Amino acid sequence: MESNWAAENLQTIRTLMERSALYRHALAPIMLLAGVIGALTTVTGLTLDLNLPRSFGALWLGAAAVVITGAFFIVRRQALKHSEPFWSPPTRRVAQALAPPLTGGMVLGVAFTLFPTAGVVDFTLLLPFLWALFYGCALHAAGSFMPRGVKWFGWVYVGLASGFLLFLAVFQPDVEINAHWLMGFFFGALHLAYGAYLYLTEKGKNAA
Amino acid sequence: MNPEPFLQLDRVIHEKGRLAIMSMLAASPELSFTELRDALTMTDGNLTTHIRALQEAGYLAVAKSFQNRRPLTTCSLTTAGRRAFTEYINLLEKIVQQNRPK
Repeated sequence: MESNWAAENLQTIRTLMERSALYRHALAPIMLLAGVIGALTTVTGLTLDLNLPRSFGALWLGAAAVVITGAFFIVRRQALKHSEPFWSPPTRRVAQALAPPLTGGMVLGVAFTLFPTAGVVDFTLLLPFLWALFYGCALHAAGSFMPRGVKWFGWVYVGLASGFLLFLAVFQPDVEINAHWLMGFFFGALHLAYGAYLYLTEKGKNAA
Repeated sequence: MNPEPFLQLDRVIHEKGRLAIMSMLAASPELSFTELRDALTMTDGNLTTHIRALQEAGYLAVAKSFQNRRPLTTCSLTTAGRRAFTEYINLLEKIVQQNRPK
């Protein structure tokens, strides 16, 4: 009887400890890295006029690969610095939460890049919204294991991407917009803004 | 059965709410009052009472600061708190082991 109670208590403690171990590392530098790469890719796309579906998709999927690789090294460096395991339970949970929507976005991106159906819908213009939507879902899912702000950041993506898509579908405004600007806004400006916010608030908190 | 380990259990930590707070803080360098309250679905008053009891026992340190001009209360385990928590876990494991069928 006493043994059951003790075992149950140990299980509760284990669950609470796992839940409490939030992933808090390297968020500001990763956001700033993503923002800078996003902004640079926007400039590259606009300058080189990479507007065909294939070149557009390849450019931005390449940028995503660079950001993911960079994020990997930032997280690894921080884990080594703090003498912590790289593949810790919080890191694993965040990666698991991010994986399904990011994979969905990547598959969609590769499909649009390899098999663009020109003339039916302007996929190049549609892709930034879909990527932003998937990315927002990924952030929201990962936000369960990260500080609360990440969930809100995910909602910003989902809200803006859905809002813009709805606006375009309902009003069909006659505007000519280069898809690189949309990508620059979603994956450059928003990351830079959130990265700067994190950097400043974490700095303020540490100073307090 | 040897009742010794059970009698040695720290009564301050043994209470359900306080044990939950200690467990969460044992896995994190620090947690804000809001994070603890939301994770443990406790009322502000309930959490404050438990935090005060743990603070009086010397197990918990409370720091008050400002984040974005809003007051921020963060809690962390003291060295004594971490030691007491480890001892508590060891005793629980001892209870489980001594009752395990041989």
